[in-house]
Amino acid sequence: MFRFDATKLILSKLDNQPIVANLGPTSDELWHAEHRDRNFYTYGNMGLCSSIALGMSLSSNEKIISLDGDGSLLMNLGTLATINRENPKNLIVLVYDNEMWGQTGRQATHTSTGTELVEVAQGCGIEKTQLVDDLESLSEVFDRALTEDGPWFIVAKIDETDYLPVPTPEPEFTLYRFRNSFM
Amino acid sequence: MSWEQTIVDSLKKADVSLISYVPDHSIGKVTSIIEKDSFFQLVPATREEEAIGIAVGGYAVGKKAAVFMQTSGFGNSVNAIATLCVPARAPIPMFINMRGGPGEFNISQVAMGKITNPIMDMLGIVNYTIDDEFKMDQLIDGALKLCFANRQPVGICLTSLLHGGKSV
Repeated sequence: MFRFDATKLILSKLDNQPIVANLGPTSDELWHAEHRDRNFYTYGNMGLCSSIALGMSLSSNEKIISLDGDGSLLMNLGTLATINRENPKNLIVLVYDNEMWGQTGRQATHTSTGTELVEVAQGCGIEKTQLVDDLESLSEVFDRALTEDGPWFIVAKIDETDYLPVPTPEPEFTLYRFRNSFM
Repeated sequence: MSWEQTIVDSLKKADVSLISYVPDHSIGKVTSIIEKDSFFQLVPATREEEAIGIAVGGYAVGKKAAVFMQTSGFGNSVNAIATLCVPARAPIPMFINMRGGPGEFNISQVAMGKITNPIMDMLGIVNYTIDDEFKMDQLIDGALKLCFANRQPVGICLTSLLHGGKSV
């Protein structure tokens, strides 16, 4: 399963629900798949993708989708404990796990050596968890996540491929556009 | 009025309702008031950069959010502030308990306390230091107004002379 295909699948299931995307290829591919006001692209905010999505879910009634990555989440595993503590019903965390730090030269991350992020989330108390490794399974569990209360924590094992062109970073406009869509 | 109540009143006047924080002895005097007030949503984070992320998320969907931390936590959150708040222009008021000042007993707190204001200065972040309650309400009201007008974080530094610090 490739990340770009997974992101296009997720987008096909959404109306106007907000998405927060991890830095690097996840944000780039979301931009290429469908550039929309309610995409929150992160640029350099290592590890904060799901924390930003958590803050959104606590301040909004809409379903909030975090497209996180294994390398980033490993920098901020504590946020899984905070997600469980706050228990937002409207948060879906989808981690694209390629078992590598793709941006820095494809070095192996800790998920390649036995760390199971789903078990970490379960250990933090999150009940709705799922590990998937193909688009069909991702489609099934994401449909459930959209209709059933969360918080949801889904890990999608992905294969790495060539990167798409990097869109121009525009963090100020990203936040401005995104916030205006709620006003 | 007590300094802690002054902060709570200013936050309400400015409609800042989401508060993310990592517990701290002195800031605890403020959060203990906030947690009993249904106007606020109080979110304890595991680390200060996480608190910054949560606050920016709240702001991104239309709320106003602030963070509470001490100087050591400000050190933990510098990358989040520099890579997220500053380039995205996310106005997050940061209430910082200044460790390492007069009366500090812990050698490990002094260096981070000493460099907290200079780091904010280098980042271009407006910051105020509050030593006593004189005109404190005006200062915090004004700092919050500036923060949201400027769409950048503001540091509001609370010293041991204001709140008494931590004695052991």
